[in-house]
Amino acid sequence: MLIIINNVLTFVGLSGVLSTIIVIADYFLANYGDCKIDINGKREITVKGGSSLLTSLAEKDIFVSSACGGRGTCGLCKVKGIDGCGPLLPTEKPYMSPKELEEGIRLSCQVKVKRDLKIEIPESIFSIRKYKSVVTAIEDYTYDIKRIEFKLIEPNEITFKAGQYVQLESKRYGKVRQPVMRAYSVSSNPSHTDYIELIIRKVPEGIMTTFTHDHLKEKDEISFTGPFGDFYIRDTGTDMFFVAGGSGMAPFKGMLEELNEKKSKRRIVFFFGARTTKDLFLLEEMKKFEEEMHDFKFIPILSHPEPNDGWDGLTGYIPPYFEEHLRDPKNTEGYLCGNPGLLNASEKRMRELGIEDIYYDSFG
Amino acid sequence: MKLTPQEVKIQERLKPGVVTLDGFLGKDKRHYNEIIAEDLEVLKGLAKTKEEIADRLDYLTKKALPYDEDGVVIDEIYDLQYVTARGRIISPFMDRTFWPKGIITLKNLQNGVEIRWTPLSIHLIRRYGFFQGKGATFRTEPSDLIKAIF
Repeated sequence: MLIIINNVLTFVGLSGVLSTIIVIADYFLANYGDCKIDINGKREITVKGGSSLLTSLAEKDIFVSSACGGRGTCGLCKVKGIDGCGPLLPTEKPYMSPKELEEGIRLSCQVKVKRDLKIEIPESIFSIRKYKSVVTAIEDYTYDIKRIEFKLIEPNEITFKAGQYVQLESKRYGKVRQPVMRAYSVSSNPSHTDYIELIIRKVPEGIMTTFTHDHLKEKDEISFTGPFGDFYIRDTGTDMFFVAGGSGMAPFKGMLEELNEKKSKRRIVFFFGARTTKDLFLLEEMKKFEEEMHDFKFIPILSHPEPNDGWDGLTGYIPPYFEEHLRDPKNTEGYLCGNPGLLNASEKRMRELGIEDIYYDSFG
Repeated sequence: MKLTPQEVKIQERLKPGVVTLDGFLGKDKRHYNEIIAEDLEVLKGLAKTKEEIADRLDYLTKKALPYDEDGVVIDEIYDLQYVTARGRIISPFMDRTFWPKGIITLKNLQNGVEIRWTPLSIHLIRRYGFFQGKGATFRTEPSDLIKAIF
């Protein structure tokens, strides 16, 4: 028995030592030289081999979305591997759908650059940058929602579409030993290129929102990456239904500021859901949009108004109110941002009414 | 107790500030394996399996989801509310699964028992029998859980 245990321990020990030697040798001795990465067949970058594809691209200011910082735990940093990416690793497979496996999609944090590669990524990624910024304003919108303004330091200008989001990076604080990244829609007007603002709701137990609500102060420096996402207004001229609840207001605020500035003639109805009057915010701004814009209506709907709220507006769920504001379903687009429950119910009702073009920014 | 490297890593990930702000262990100083073993023993005495509990929580979660924070009463007994946040949370057990960020609260209108859980809690109960450490934000004693949802 002792001999067996001894042999097993020896084997395990030797395996461990050999693995360590291989890792150390790979780190210090493996020289992959310069490697070329062909992107979309249009652009070629040269990087020093040996790092992950995610890191190599980031070093050339090409930022593939990643929420875990390349630790292989978020599954977001997907690219299409055309050539040279090596075999799919067991660490990647759980994040891939059958279709993605078939198409050769890879996690860029798990692909090591050892030779020349060919990959495909969405063209929009080329406009993504990492920004250093300083907090210039923090304002309470409600008891659990804040507006935070970030003045850009480096680069000092950003180009984005209203409705897109950025990934904010926290710092170490309290018990939190590693920075985390979280996505937030930009709520400012894209024409203001030297700052962005975010609307952030505090999430119980949330690492990032506890950071932004309880630890972040004016003049603090903070980094973010972006812009990301395809939730933005299509330039079609149709009527638009906006639907949001809570901090889902954020992308619409930016969209409305931009549409107002551009003197848009589009007809817009904005349905905003909240529990009580304590959860409503930006009412003055919405009233101003109603006064200034060509055809804009803001419709707040409370699900649980309290007796002392003095609320004489609409109550209940949002979707039943769509029909009375709909002119022509074939000439109406739906834009939805918020909780999955609200979005699913809204989409279902819109489709029943004949609205076909519906765009989402789901929290779920 | 001899721990595998994987178990050591998981224990670290259950601590505050790694996956969630307050972690999954509360004030419990025990290793998660001991917490699981003790709770599964309690479940035996209560004649319920971890799968039955997870199935029930899953059923209630799906019923609550369409109503978000507005809340809904299901089966005339369960007063439910589902608060959602953007994004997904990774399982601390390194099983490479991600779960919606949400908090479901339930009040049993018949006996007044109140509990709360997350989609991740259901996964941890179903796959590992991990109800979280004593004093953890989302721990509910298995006996209270059963009183609330069955």
